[in-house]
Amino acid sequence: MHEKEKDLIRAWQRGLLDRRELIRGLGAMGVTAASAGVLVNMMQTQALAADFDWKRHAGKGVKLLLNKHPYTDAMIANLDNFKALTGMNVAYDVFPEDVYFDKVTAALSSRSSEYDAFMTGAYMTWTYGPAGWIFDHNEWIHDPAKTNPNYNWEDMLEGVRKSCAWNGRPGGALGSPDAKQWCIPWGYEQNNLTYNAEMFARAGASVPKDLDQLIETAVQVQKANPGVYGIGVRGSRSWATIHPGFLSAYANLGERDLNVSADGKLSAAMNTPGSKAFHAKWVRMIQEAGAPDWSTHTWYQVGTDLGAGKSAMIYDADILGYFMNGGGNAMAGKLAYAPFAASGNGAPTPNIWIWSLAMSRFSKDPDAAWYFVQWASGPEHGLFGATKMDFVNPVRASVWADAGFRERLSKNYPGYVEMHDVSAPGASIKFTAQPLFFDLTTEWAATLQKMVAREVPVDEGLDQLAESVNRQLKEAGLG
Amino acid sequence: MDHRSLLERWLRGIALALVVVFFMFPILWIVLMSLQTNETILRSPPSVVFTPTLQNYAALISGRLETEAGALDIAFMSNLMNSVILSVGSVALALVLGVPAAYAFARHRFRGSEDIAFTLLSFRFAPPLLVLLPLTLYFQDLGLADTYFGLIWVYQLICLPLILWIVRGYFEDISPDIELAYRIAGHSWWATFRRIALPLAGPGIAAAGLLAFIFAWNNFIFALVLASADKQPVTVGALAFVTASGIQYGQIAAAVVLSIAPTLALALWAQRYLVEGLSLGAVKG
Repeated sequence: MHEKEKDLIRAWQRGLLDRRELIRGLGAMGVTAASAGVLVNMMQTQALAADFDWKRHAGKGVKLLLNKHPYTDAMIANLDNFKALTGMNVAYDVFPEDVYFDKVTAALSSRSSEYDAFMTGAYMTWTYGPAGWIFDHNEWIHDPAKTNPNYNWEDMLEGVRKSCAWNGRPGGALGSPDAKQWCIPWGYEQNNLTYNAEMFARAGASVPKDLDQLIETAVQVQKANPGVYGIGVRGSRSWATIHPGFLSAYANLGERDLNVSADGKLSAAMNTPGSKAFHAKWVRMIQEAGAPDWSTHTWYQVGTDLGAGKSAMIYDADILGYFMNGGGNAMAGKLAYAPFAASGNGAPTPNIWIWSLAMSRFSKDPDAAWYFVQWASGPEHGLFGATKMDFVNPVRASVWADAGFRERLSKNYPGYVEMHDVSAPGASIKFTAQPLFFDLTTEWAATLQKMVAREVPVDEGLDQLAESVNRQLKEAGLG
Repeated sequence: MDHRSLLERWLRGIALALVVVFFMFPILWIVLMSLQTNETILRSPPSVVFTPTLQNYAALISGRLETEAGALDIAFMSNLMNSVILSVGSVALALVLGVPAAYAFARHRFRGSEDIAFTLLSFRFAPPLLVLLPLTLYFQDLGLADTYFGLIWVYQLICLPLILWIVRGYFEDISPDIELAYRIAGHSWWATFRRIALPLAGPGIAAAGLLAFIFAWNNFIFALVLASADKQPVTVGALAFVTASGIQYGQIAAAVVLSIAPTLALALWAQRYLVEGLSLGAVKG
């Protein structure tokens, strides 16, 4: 490569040029876009190698357990760079999401040394961490001998980073000073609105600004679009029904799932007057403008119906709306995005799901595994995935600041970048960390189903739920 | 000569047609779905009028699906091959071990014979997850984890009790006098077993083998826990089309059609033996 091209790429790496200027400059030198990508990647790999002994574990291998996901596809597409950088081998097993966590749990609970690192959600680490199945990654993050100087841990969005850290005490605040970093954020989802702009225009509807408007708008759009229901939210008897739009709106109204007393005891907080008022509205929204088969709806049905034009909007993961705006979906190109604060204060506080990486405590060589984890969660791979693949949402501020990435998103996903910018400061996990998380939230979803089906009045249902939750917490020694 | 009235025959024909439609409709619907793109399948309202395409089958067989959203690598054919290896291997091993054992349990009463037979039967009722975690540890120590041999061994929890108990019933239904007559003619125990007992119990063995094959083919959890992604059967592989970015309904339907084809072909081929075999053990003489 000529020195001029090298100098140009070095200038970009030092932040003297933005990505557009770099591409324009390389173009002027006769470098094609494809060649420019290769050159930039190569130069970045060289730059990474210059500051850190990436070859320390050369010749070793790590094995990963991965979920079939666009994040995984992005990593695999860039894996040759990691191999070239470190001289390490990487093997991986990719399993479908439906069975993925069964595989992880089986591997960890049997203390299998087969996998060195794996994908996980932050909620799962509330089980894996106290069980001693995963490491506190702080040991590696803050060790300059093991972590490259460009890793820039503080570049990870604060709410996301802290949501993956817990001190292990039931009710302990996420990200507290004594928290253990059970996993490393990789990609994440905020829960906001994705809506069908055409259907909204047909109804003369504007984007709702609070919970009351959300219900009214859902009903209005439903009436104006025959055969379409107003709003898609999850409804299956699963913890996953509670964590997206439902908990995001609930938390934004100042409600909590559990109370934590001064002596660390937990108790149900779902039957407060505020919570009952929220539940009543949410139930009415589903009854009046939700899917007719709402109680079976998971991530897949919520997304599929939006993509197929069967629903006018969803209050769910933003990346679900992102995926439905492309590919072979009938509504591709017609979807738009908006942040949502149920209280109407304009400051969304979405609950989040974080796909993370964690190292197994049964790994035979965690130091080598950490080399992979720090590369995969590093800024270079984050930028590659975000600009070349579907690695959204990135967890690093530097990637969100990249002009090329923002431009790419804004071009095809109207309102997505603005939505993220507005809601990222308030985005974090809103649940109380405790080991009964999955049991209690599944029961919460079951109660919600009964309320929507009019089997139990909202007030009575929440009182029964709180009683049951309190009993379970006491039995587990937590309440 | 048919003495039924015309009306009765008509009503009978309509009733039979309704039953056939009721049972065949899901299969027909899946076949139709397998010939459509995702967009056609998901259109609202649904329609049975569409331009058929073989792209789902082509994608499964070639291992690569090109969509507007990008390319998707598909390992379905290797999943199908894994199912064949695991099911055929485990049924073959179960027949080799189970048929002589069934004969022994049917013909020879010995101390603890019933206890052993019931212990083997109890394997069938053990919740898989109860045994899988300890097995994972043993398999790692023994080097059996993530091997076809190890999986075929574990599949005996499904196949062996089934074959042993079904075939035992058939052997018990065959009169011992026939075998004794052959033995008196100077033939060995092994020759009697091979030339008399086995052929007479043939339909029963075929029926038991087929049932064991279907159960093994449908198994999901053993390979999921004990093996890597490259040794997963179709039951796990078909789930790969359910992804975060959408469900590939067309591929799922095509995968279902391809995955039921071997079992269906085997069942059709063995139908005669199956009916004969099942009815043979049902009537006591």
